[in-house]
Amino acid sequence: MPQKPSHNGIKTVHLFVEKNRVPAFYPLLSRGIIVKTRVGCSVKTLICNYLGLSADYLEKRLQTIFLDGKAVDDTETTVVQEGATLALSAAMPGLAGATLRRGSAYAAMRNQITHQNGTCGESTKDGTICLKLFNLVAADIGQSFLEKGVLISGRYLRDFFRSASDKIISGIRSGEVDGVRMNTNQIANMDWEQTQVDLKLEAV
Amino acid sequence: MDKILRINMGPEGAPKASEEPIGQYAGLGGRGMTSAIVAKEVPPLCHPLGKENKLVIAPGILSGSQAAQSGRVSVGCKSPLTGGIKEANSGGQGAQVIARLGYAAIVLEGKPADDTLYKVVINKEGVDIIADNSLKMLGNYALIDKMKVEYGEDVAFVSIGQAGEMKMSAASVAFTDPELRPTRHAGRGGVGAVMGAKGVKVIVLDDAGMPTRSPKDVEKFKEANKAFVQGLRKHPITGEGLPSFGTNILTNVINEAGALPTNNFQSGRFDGAGSISGETQSDTMKARGGKVKKGCHRGCVIQCSGIYNNKDGSFLTKRVEYETVWSHGSNCGIDDLDAISMMDRLDDDFGLDTIEMGATIGVAMEAGLAKFGDGEAAINLLKEVGKGTPLGRILGAGAAVTGQAFGVERVPVVKGQALPAYDPRAVQGIGVTYATSTMGADHTAGYAVTANVLGVGGSVDPLKSEGQVELSRNLQIATAAIDATGFCLFIAFAILDQPDTFNAMLDMLSAFTGEPCTADDVVALGKKILDYERDFNARAGFTSKQDRLPEFFKKEPLPPHNTTFSVKDEELDQVFNW
Repeated sequence: MPQKPSHNGIKTVHLFVEKNRVPAFYPLLSRGIIVKTRVGCSVKTLICNYLGLSADYLEKRLQTIFLDGKAVDDTETTVVQEGATLALSAAMPGLAGATLRRGSAYAAMRNQITHQNGTCGESTKDGTICLKLFNLVAADIGQSFLEKGVLISGRYLRDFFRSASDKIISGIRSGEVDGVRMNTNQIANMDWEQTQVDLKLEAV
Repeated sequence: MDKILRINMGPEGAPKASEEPIGQYAGLGGRGMTSAIVAKEVPPLCHPLGKENKLVIAPGILSGSQAAQSGRVSVGCKSPLTGGIKEANSGGQGAQVIARLGYAAIVLEGKPADDTLYKVVINKEGVDIIADNSLKMLGNYALIDKMKVEYGEDVAFVSIGQAGEMKMSAASVAFTDPELRPTRHAGRGGVGAVMGAKGVKVIVLDDAGMPTRSPKDVEKFKEANKAFVQGLRKHPITGEGLPSFGTNILTNVINEAGALPTNNFQSGRFDGAGSISGETQSDTMKARGGKVKKGCHRGCVIQCSGIYNNKDGSFLTKRVEYETVWSHGSNCGIDDLDAISMMDRLDDDFGLDTIEMGATIGVAMEAGLAKFGDGEAAINLLKEVGKGTPLGRILGAGAAVTGQAFGVERVPVVKGQALPAYDPRAVQGIGVTYATSTMGADHTAGYAVTANVLGVGGSVDPLKSEGQVELSRNLQIATAAIDATGFCLFIAFAILDQPDTFNAMLDMLSAFTGEPCTADDVVALGKKILDYERDFNARAGFTSKQDRLPEFFKKEPLPPHNTTFSVKDEELDQVFNW
């Protein structure tokens, strides 16, 4: 079946998914999506101004934040640089979960993996980051990210199709790859290994 | 709950049961009760599998009442794994039923003269100790099925599998859940081996005709319980996170922090974390018709357990907890949830501590007995343990013995007990608790509320690097106290963040006992328990030299952050300096 040529090696995938099956795609968000944004700004600025989440949501829900694998305490002074990985999570259980929380009373217990604050100038610029959405955060905002479209590694999509149950697969009503309509099995069996995917979901 | 049931398995003729008033142990429950009895009555230098050791099973202070989350039970003894004092904690129905039967503790003492296996039946009429060798070498699942036919389904069971009968140091004691499945375990320290040494295969607990325990101040208790439940429900962890994803909600986050021990503690990151995360687990459970949330005992509000089905929709095991997903998963390089869940089922059936077994298989993989990532090989190693083959006997003795047997240097144990699921090179404060806990490496030893709530030990600036020792000390004190109440430790998040929920907990204790209960009382109780345990361990020959992490944590940098454990020995020695 002919397909439109992909741009920059990126395949666009548009899936029409039964509404109750959309959450099955959230684990893709936890593995990391590439987001074009402004960088060189604070974590708070990036989350509120460029990802479009409210300050209230940041304050109340985003209790655990990692920048390049290090726990963030102060979102106003921690700077996100080009190519950084930003992970967003709700509050976590367990002593480790409590320890990793923003501004935790236990923060001293993980000082070696605490993000040291940088100098936050206003020299922001266009760039990309890897964004990871975990647990309740993915459940809260995952659908809107997926509906807008997310850029992911093709390997993640391959893994998703390999592990998806029949119920999930049958919940994908139809799809398009680079604008060409295909059935779910055809999409699932494509070679996604070496490509990046611009994945967009439409709940039906 | 004003009496102690003692079952002596050793007298000539037949085992004998006797009841006595609670006496000197009045006011104690859970870990407070087990540690007090062990410290006062067990000779510290005795052999853990000998007649002088005692196995103490104690519900918490509030167990058997209407208090939410009060269904934890403690099992204590001298540990065959560590050689020190042990308290292993479990959910399930056991605590509630033992408490309603009126017992503050059941103590198994002595040792049978031969290898006859017994079942113990306890109901309101009394205690029957019945020889039943037909139970020999049954797994917990088959055993409970057989017991249900004999005793019905309105009971609770406490049992051991094959591992306990073989007196393996990784053996657990199983407690049935509300569906009468043997899915909840007092896992740590080989408590199942001590029950096996007593010749007791199963305890049948029947509380028919026994009332729910009543508080001294009914109205105040009711009100406090209501506020406590509301606090748990409104908190994002106990009200949302745990019911949605279980404790395995942690896998992705701990992995992101670079603290998820992988391939026997060689790395803090696991490529396959997403495949075994709580998010993926919940999706899989839903897709297979499992249950995403349920309690491990009646009266649970948090509901962090669940049901994990096979691909064909049949029951395989409960929602596998984070510690097990880590131990059998990333620690062995395995990213297959079905393989991990099968190992959880086998652990429950054989009666094994999942943390110890995952760590042991990790060590065995490092020794070359299987390849990291090979789920089938890991399952086969576990089956060797269940069968009791010579290799299985070594593995069932735990990570330390396995490391010695196969010449492995990187063996993640403290006091002979395997480390849980957080690498102490990344989260150093947890390493302080692993090193100094009276129990051997234990993630729940320093878990609950801290100085900021209890107001002890001064305040620690959260953003300064100092203070790890102080935090660990206060956490260990608070945890010991919570373990005495019968409360699930997961209440810690709500009482940590919400002063009104903390006060509701104190009010509940106070209304129930009729005695005032303040934060100071909680601290005093925690210290008293730790004093019992430290004293026992000292008399058993433990010194500060045992309060150390294995050498490799100080020498081998942990990717991705390439940190080593840097808390000095002299700082560790200050943890119990109060």
